[in-house]
Parts: sequence; structure tokens; C-alpha cells
Amino acid sequence: MDLLRDTLRHFDTMTMNLRRFPPLLIVGLSILSGACQKDEDDPPAPTPTSVAVALKVEHHMDGVPLIFDTILYTTAAEHAYSVSRLEYYLSEIILFGAGSTPNDTLRGPYYVNGSGTTSFTVGELPAAEYSGAALLLGLPQELNVTGGLPNTMENVNMAWPDPMGGGYHFIKFEGHFLDGATATGFAMHVGNNTYLPHAALGQSFTLDGRSGTLAIRFNLNELFRTPHTYDLSTGNYSMGDMMLMGQLRDNAFDAFTIEYRP
Amino acid sequence: MMRDPDLLTFTLLALLTACRHDRAEDLGPAGPSVTPYELGRPYYFPELQIPADDPLTVEGIALGRRLYYDPILSTGGPLAGLSCSSCHNQSLSFSVPNNGPSVLPHVNLAWSRNFLWNGKVQGDLEDIMCFEVEEFFQVDLNVLRNHPVYPDRFRDAFGEVEITGTLVEKALAQWFRRLVSSNSRFDSYLRHEIEFTTSEFNGMMVFMTETGDCFHCHGIPLMTDNAFHNIGLDSAFTPADQGRYLVTGDPADLGAFKAPTLRNVALTAPYMHDGRFQTLEEVVEHYDSGVNPSPSLDPIMTKPGQQIHLGLNPMQKADLLAFLHTLTDDSFITDTALASPF
Repeated sequence: MDLLRDTLRHFDTMTMNLRRFPPLLIVGLSILSGACQKDEDDPPAPTPTSVAVALKVEHHMDGVPLIFDTILYTTAAEHAYSVSRLEYYLSEIILFGAGSTPNDTLRGPYYVNGSGTTSFTVGELPAAEYSGAALLLGLPQELNVTGGLPNTMENVNMAWPDPMGGGYHFIKFEGHFLDGATATGFAMHVGNNTYLPHAALGQSFTLDGRSGTLAIRFNLNELFRTPHTYDLSTGNYSMGDMMLMGQLRDNAFDAFTIEYRP
Repeated sequence: MMRDPDLLTFTLLALLTACRHDRAEDLGPAGPSVTPYELGRPYYFPELQIPADDPLTVEGIALGRRLYYDPILSTGGPLAGLSCSSCHNQSLSFSVPNNGPSVLPHVNLAWSRNFLWNGKVQGDLEDIMCFEVEEFFQVDLNVLRNHPVYPDRFRDAFGEVEITGTLVEKALAQWFRRLVSSNSRFDSYLRHEIEFTTSEFNGMMVFMTETGDCFHCHGIPLMTDNAFHNIGLDSAFTPADQGRYLVTGDPADLGAFKAPTLRNVALTAPYMHDGRFQTLEEVVEHYDSGVNPSPSLDPIMTKPGQQIHLGLNPMQKADLLAFLHTLTDDSFITDTALASPF
């Protein structure tokens, strides 16, 4: 619980700073501007450094790499389960610099298929120390409308039907679980702006000038716990169920971690 | 999905080795009369990925069309005397009206990456055409090379080159990309050109909400997700019913077959991989009350409360059928540009 509270507190700080970002940016730029007035006697300003970074998304169950289609995992409600499909979007990945001020944002959206596409080209990021990150498990509101994304095969298959509100599935997470001795399917689908999951990633990391991989790890077990103990026996199908989608949204808050691997 | 990586890798390697050329190797200089062909598609259709080494041309499509309708493809092979069109009937959306195992229709395959019911072939249309040319029809290329017409047609389409299996595949692939159905009553509705009847509209609501939950596997606009699903036809699986499992070896794929497009579905009976249903009414009844449980039943078939049946009322079933009939594209099945050139 302490860890959760710390994470929540950290996210609150980041969120507040995010809201304050425009004025912070202006103040910061003013200070920098004043500080960097060219003086004939000053040594040449150091070249701003950036680093080539790739983004990789990994799927783990409490530290164990995900293996599809085998009932190996256990929910907080003690249901053994497997994963057969995992598709989702990540977007608005905000990287916080020192003092939890936003330093850069990977807007995405990145379509992730757990059994397919998990690596992405990001480009250059500022070489700096980062105090953590935040992201959306899904799409920002302006993109979450029918036709809001390019008509790729992946995107059309993630569509959230117009009669149910339009836009896109934020996540499709499907598999089987044991309810007693019987294997039963579950389909945890989340969409609709009200249920857009926000996640805070409290791990600090340093981009020290060496190119590398920014690894975001998704612990799927977290979707079944804190703050809600998600019970598959009564919630095996979430699409269109406001209570279940709300639980998944809340539980996703601490489902991601981040690290940099030069 | 990546299951049993070793088996999957082996299968893919075997397919690649058996049936994939370096598609650029046979390319000669383009013929002087090559005309690029712009394939029309509605704005709501996915972007089309066309291999750089097989761009659409008027000449290539014309050649592919001729090959599609010409029994010359099967000369000397196990299907001697048959062309693609001997079985795939345009008036039935290029489906095959037989009794017994059904064959997927040749419609909108330009957007497919998985071919055949179990996805035995994956990749581009050129890859499935490789299977058709080399394994299915076992095309005798010398028959084409010595034909009075085909050498000129290949030259027109691909330049001064010898006729090879790769070029036959490319021409056929171009023709298959041309088989686009996007002008059904439903398309007119999507383009705001018409209004649905009350029954059609209500059926669309059944289709596109959790009431019928058809949209997950048969989503707009292609009316297929091109993926594999066990929809509960059986609880036990004979080899003929094992589907995707025969390719992957993954028990989770037992009974999983490619979701067919529902475009022109009213014309493409019989239904399911084994043709067990003769009418759309039977299909709807299956989803409504006939789904069989099994460990590999697709999770999406399990509804709230762990139900595996829809429980539609008679009106909802009738409405759903009315909507399915709006997917019929009369212009596609009567387009003379898609008919036999002979």
C-alpha cells in the first residue's frame, strides 16, 4: 500500500505539473533565456545532446514474461488464467524530467499487439535524467472518434462500434480462466473516453547520451488488483459494462513500469 | 498469434522454401504499353498494401483475368479441365455453391494476410497465388509458353521475359486485387446515400452491439477481422474440424477457422468450413442457441454471465437477417469487367 500511495503521490505531482506546464515552460524559457545571454568571454555553449531511442513494450506477470495460451497465471481473486489476445494503444507517453516537469512526450498512438508488434521507432530524446513517466492506455479524446486514426487493418479491427459510442477499443485483453474445473473465456475490452486508463510510471532513469531502448513493461496481473479486486467469475465480459470498465481503468493506473537500457 | 514458435517457424520456412520466389528475379523491362491501374476503394476501407514488385497495371489485371477464366491453368495437372471460375461463380460473389466443405469466396482478398480456412498460407496475394499455381493447379508453364496468345500477353504486362510461375502468380494476384466489393446497400447507407428500413436498422444494431456481438469478428468495413476463431461448432474435433491447429500445433487453435467476410454473405452458401449450414437462418440459430463449449472456444464467444448463447428473440433474428442481406453488392456480381473475357 505504501508503494501505491507513493506512486499516487508522485502521479499527483506530475499531473499538477502537467497542468502547469505552459506557465512552467514560459518561466523556464525566460530563465534560460536570461541565463544564456551571449557574453563574449563565455566559453562556447555545450551542444545540446540528444540520444537515439527505440521504444519497446514488454508483457510480464509479476516479473515473469507472458506466454500466450497457457493457464499459468493467477488473478488477485484466485482465478488461474491464460491470455490469448492482447491488443491495445499507448499514447501521450510523458517523460518527466528533474522536479517532475514534463521534458518530452511521445504522442503515439502506438498500436501494440502482444503477439506481434511491440517495438517502435521513437527518434531522438533529450539526454537527461528523468524522474518517471505517465501514459494513456488508449487514445486521447481527440483521436477516439470514428475515423480518428488512419484506416490501417489494425485500427479498423480495433474500432468501437458507433452504436456503442464510436471511436476505438483502448484494449482487447482476452483469454481463459478456471472457474472451478471449467475453463471459461474472458474478454476484457475497454473503450469510451470516460473509461480511458491513465497510468503513472514512477521509476527514474537516465538517458546518458548512449542510444538504447526505452522499455515499458506492462504487468497484466495489475489489471486484476488495486484498487479493485477484479473477479472474472462475475466479470468475464467487460465491453459495455460501465462498472467493469471502470474497475479496469482504475486498476491500470500502476500496471506499467519504465526503464532505459543503453 | 505466436504459438509454438518452433512449429510455426518450421511451417513458415517450409512454405517459404516451397512456394516463394524472389519476385523481382523474373522481372524484365516493362512493356511499352503498361498502364498503371488505380484501384478504387471507399474512404472507409483500409489502406491497400501492394507489393512494390507487383504494381497494378491494366495489362497485368487483364492477363490475370484471362488466366482466372481459362482452364489452361490446369492442363496436365490433377484438376485438368478446370479454371478458377469453373468453381468460383461471379453471380455468387465468386463463391462455390457445392455440397460439403465450403470454399472461401474471392472477394476483397486484397486486404487479407491469412488465406484458406486454416491460414495455411500467409502473406501477400502473390503468396497464395504461388500455392494455387504450384500446388493446387500444378500449372504446366510450357503450355503457356507455347500458346499462340499468352506470350504476347505476358510481354505486354511484364516486358520481354520468359513466362515463369512467378509471373503467373503476379498476374493472378493483380486480378484478385481487382475483385473489390464495396457497393452494397450497406455501403450506400455508410455513404449517407440511403436510409435503412426499420428492420435493417434494427438488425444493424443487433450486429454492432453486444446484443449480437457480430462486429468483433466481422467488423466494418471488410466484415472480417481476417483472424481465426473457434465459434463453437463442435466440442470434439475430427482432423477436418481442427482448423488452425493443423498449422500451428497449438491446442488453443483447435477448431479455429478464418472468419470469412460477410460481404455478399446471402449469396455464399453453404456456410462454415464444412458447409454444414445451408441457410443464413441456420447460421443465426447456431450463434443464438447452438454454440458448443470446448477449451479452445474463442473467449469472445463467452458473453456476460459466462453464457455462450445470444438468446435473441424472433424479431431480432429477422432484423439481423435483414441487415445481412444489405451486404449484397449487386454491382459486383453483375460487373461485366469482372466477367469472363472469353
